[in-house]
Amino acid sequence: MNSQAMKSFEHLEGLSEAIFKRLYQQPATALAVFRRMLPNLAKTFVMAMLFNPDPVPVSSLEAFVRPDQNRLKEEAFGKLRQLYIVTERQGTFALDATFKVELRKALTGGGSPGSFGLPCDTEDKNRVDISFLDRYAAEQWESILHFMVGNETQSSQRPSEGVVRLLLHGKLMEQNRASGTVITQLGFSFLLQEVNSQVWTLLLLYLDMAEQLRMDPVDILHFLFLLGSLELGQDYDMKSLTPTQKGMLEDLRDYGIVYQRKSSSRRFYPTRLATGLTSEIRSLRSPAATLANATPGNDENGFLIIETNYHSPLQIAVLNLFARLISRFPNLVTARITRESIRQAIGKGITAEQIIDYMTANAHPQLRKNSPVLPPTVVDQIRLWQIEGERMKVTSGYLFKEFATNAEFNAVCKYADDIGVLVWIDKNKGMLFVSKHEQIADYIRKRAQSNR
Amino acid sequence: MDKVDGTEHYNFKAPADLATLQVIILDTNPLAWATFEKSSSLSFPAALSQLLIFANAHLAFSQSNRCAVIANHIDGVHFLSPADPGTDHRDPGEADLTPEDLKEIANQNASKYRVFRLLEDEVRASYRRLIKNTTPEAVMACPNSSYLAGALSAALTYINRICFGGTGGRSSGVPGDEKSKVNSAGGKVDETGRTMHAKILVVSVTPDPANQYIPVMNSIFAAQRLKVPIDVCKLRDSTVFLQQAADATGGVYMEPEHPQGLIQYLMMGFLPDHLARQSLILPTKVDVDFRAACFCHKKVLDIGFVCSVCLSIFCEPPQGAVCSTCQVKLDVTSLENIGKPVVLPPKKKKKKKAIDSLPESGVASAAESPVPTE
Repeated sequence: MNSQAMKSFEHLEGLSEAIFKRLYQQPATALAVFRRMLPNLAKTFVMAMLFNPDPVPVSSLEAFVRPDQNRLKEEAFGKLRQLYIVTERQGTFALDATFKVELRKALTGGGSPGSFGLPCDTEDKNRVDISFLDRYAAEQWESILHFMVGNETQSSQRPSEGVVRLLLHGKLMEQNRASGTVITQLGFSFLLQEVNSQVWTLLLLYLDMAEQLRMDPVDILHFLFLLGSLELGQDYDMKSLTPTQKGMLEDLRDYGIVYQRKSSSRRFYPTRLATGLTSEIRSLRSPAATLANATPGNDENGFLIIETNYHSPLQIAVLNLFARLISRFPNLVTARITRESIRQAIGKGITAEQIIDYMTANAHPQLRKNSPVLPPTVVDQIRLWQIEGERMKVTSGYLFKEFATNAEFNAVCKYADDIGVLVWIDKNKGMLFVSKHEQIADYIRKRAQSNR
Repeated sequence: MDKVDGTEHYNFKAPADLATLQVIILDTNPLAWATFEKSSSLSFPAALSQLLIFANAHLAFSQSNRCAVIANHIDGVHFLSPADPGTDHRDPGEADLTPEDLKEIANQNASKYRVFRLLEDEVRASYRRLIKNTTPEAVMACPNSSYLAGALSAALTYINRICFGGTGGRSSGVPGDEKSKVNSAGGKVDETGRTMHAKILVVSVTPDPANQYIPVMNSIFAAQRLKVPIDVCKLRDSTVFLQQAADATGGVYMEPEHPQGLIQYLMMGFLPDHLARQSLILPTKVDVDFRAACFCHKKVLDIGFVCSVCLSIFCEPPQGAVCSTCQVKLDVTSLENIGKPVVLPPKKKKKKKAIDSLPESGVASAAESPVPTE
């Protein structure tokens, strides 16, 4: 999984315990949370405990892990606690009862009918096939991207009001008196993300906005996670959806995530953008490329389309972010990557990794024959240009000071180091700086109790 | 403060963690399972269900994880999933179903995640097809037959194609084949050129096929080279070959004491993938039985004869003193005394004669000389 997608999930981690407990009431959600939000070792722990009827003593889990991997273990436990998946009681770990039941249901298929989508039981007279859905999704999604870089002539339709509102809400675009809506730096950075992260970014913005509109976030998340587990090319019945979710369908249709022939239709088809929601497979840059790649036997065509598409203003606008355009022909654009152009891109909040990823993902088949795809000198130089500006590093975090005893200070330092949140210490002044404070505070409290 | 450098250059990526391919080799010998069920009350259907949950759990770890199931049957090796592209994919039981039944099935399907469902349906349908084509006479004819070597080679060739070829190959029906294409097109590849990690789980109820010693060992060494751990869940009869397989490839070896609770053994011991195993202490056998089988009569040996050229193992000096593997002429003259209860070097005998006057000494020296023990 890439760091951007991870980051969008950090937003979810901040939800309250009550919301998590309700989220886990659906097997699809329990499965998606398990798959997308847990580190590998945490998944292993969950599976080890899943079919164990009794709570597991902490000591036996600790004996399960190599002593030199303490940091990973603490990270795993930390995450499980943070998402309220495990509860710790009298020296034993137990999985959250709801989570346990629902994840078991997901694995054994014992959930209620429709817990992974209710397929329509009647034949659709206007049945659509997968290639149609792919085309539809690509059209809708690219029309949003085109709109963002401000070229609406390319695609026939302008995205709906809802989409524009969302882009403005997320500050991906802003209202400008002179020229209407224009893209922001955040928006440019958004353009360089992979499609899957773009979809999530937009959906999380949607979630954020929906909360202001008093829609139930649990309902929304259930539906999003459910969409991720649906089958491409299958039509689903709306009747198992809640009213909120039915309302969402209209918005999701605008994004190209689901397809409905008309809004009164009771059936909907998820597109590839939806079924990829809970997958962490690296999708390629443009929706067209993702779709072409995922359709068997179509790879060649897909790549050709990308290449000829370089005359599309969207692609050129993206290239223009980090390269200086020199000449432009109907089927070819030449651009030069220079120190200035890269520094400019970095100034806009685009990282060297994003640029390199973008170029790798969109490389011409001829270039793709090389291994590595991009010449190492170019990659290194771009990274070096980025590092030039990195003389200072900002880490947000928390300062702990004025410890009662030296022993306590040392113990806390050791614990912070073990769980991997320690950023800086000064032994003489008795201060330490950590990136996360919850577990440390817990630890200090426990220590104080046990000493009493 | 953020104005100093608001960019996010520090999120350097962790090294690419590749997905895992899990190959399950399952004994489907009906007679062996029937015998096992009597002693343990774990039936084959129950074991299969638990294995499928295990496979689902593996697939739940990551979208790109994949799973293959191979049946080690009485007449050979069969892929249960992905099924052979040429075969009839219909479930043999399906023809008898009424429309109501089909509706019921569709309803059940809606409660299952599609990736899990596809795998389960395929495995169950292939298994029913396999059993349908198996006659009772054939089962009675070979109560303990096992094609372990064939199953291991089939698994390894499949792994080789999926994890190193990247072409997708066999159409699996599991939405994973497309992904291997994405991998080859621009996805993650580690320094050895592999696009996926792999591990093999052998669930065995049949005894060692001693006549397959050489191919089994070859498979084990091939697995070792490919860095594919072979995990062994031995439900009945301890086995020499599989212990060695797990030991040589760094896999997990377990003989569940309570086979009814198979699922817990699977989830705890066998599920952790490549990445998790680096930080876990997994149960494995400490005292591995390293005995080999002889090449001539396929018996498992404690002590045997080894060809000095090709290291072939024999339980007795080969016929005509010619090694059956490399055809070298062996000098067996020095072997004449071997196998007799006491080996007395000729030199000592002479000495003994010299001090023959001492009556007890002969007995004493015989007791001290090396005795080949069992």
